[in-house]
Amino acid sequence: MSKHKKPEVEESISPNLIPMIDIMFLLLLFFMLGADMSQRELAGELVLPEAAQVPENKNIKVEGVEYTTINVHHETPDGSPCPVNANGGICREESHWQWSIRGKNYNKDTLKEQLQVEAEMNMETVPDPVAKKLLSARNVLIRADSAAPYGDIQKVIEYCGLVGIYKIEVAAARPAAAAKP
Amino acid sequence: MAGGSSEDNPVPINVVPMVDVIFCLCVFFMCSFKFKQLEGAFDSWLPKNKGTNCCPVPEPAEIRIAMFWEPEQQHVRRQFGQRVVEDDAELAQLMKSAHDDWVLKNKPDVPVIIDGDPRIPWRSVIGVVNISKALAIDNIEFALGATEKM
Repeated sequence: MSKHKKPEVEESISPNLIPMIDIMFLLLLFFMLGADMSQRELAGELVLPEAAQVPENKNIKVEGVEYTTINVHHETPDGSPCPVNANGGICREESHWQWSIRGKNYNKDTLKEQLQVEAEMNMETVPDPVAKKLLSARNVLIRADSAAPYGDIQKVIEYCGLVGIYKIEVAAARPAAAAKP
Repeated sequence: MAGGSSEDNPVPINVVPMVDVIFCLCVFFMCSFKFKQLEGAFDSWLPKNKGTNCCPVPEPAEIRIAMFWEPEQQHVRRQFGQRVVEDDAELAQLMKSAHDDWVLKNKPDVPVIIDGDPRIPWRSVIGVVNISKALAIDNIEFALGATEKM
């Protein structure tokens, strides 16, 4: 009986990676475009209160309109987690709520000084006929966490009034159901 | 293909490192993914002539909503005059009827004054602002305590 020698077949299995790479690129694009990478001048976490009636803030994109964004957010002084906040409660520990401008935290005294500096950056050129003094043309956007104490926002408004800033806006997020495409 | 040489492709390109990098990027973006939230802002410009020192008003031409903080229950109690308001619908109805009364008296600009305890959460204040805007009441004021001097 003759032994048949099987022909040697060299089979190379090389999967076509091109469609997979295409899909990966599409996924990458989707995530890169959809991800909210803007930190809005904030280092920590901040959840804005929701309001269906909030209009889109168009001024912030207008060239020449100078903004100062003040974030009121929860952050413990030593960076340790706050048990009340972590459990979804409303933390009222005064030292856990911070005011920050461009990522830098301010206290009651330093915030007032910083707002004075911000106000002087954009003073109106003509004294206001009603106020009979020079006011600041600078806009202030207050982005406060939904659980932030109202007193902290009141303080910011009060300090703005003291340094001559009157163009104040308060930020809110449109609920997903109310968001227009 | 990948990493292999072929007669059709005289300059083979090893795409495996690129695929690895794309995988890593994909994983990074998938892990850090958070949909963009549509943000807006309510104008709350200060009165130029008064600053934050509010003058006494002879006649209380206002729609005042008082908000108190109940720390034990972690709850905000809202009052319209002496009446305790339970929900947003009731508050909206009361505000609408008060606003309509002022419109009939030829004073459509009577403000909604939010007089809140400093400890109440900001979202409850924004909730009242939202109701006012829904009722087309644009004149909203925040009551502040005694103002410090610079």
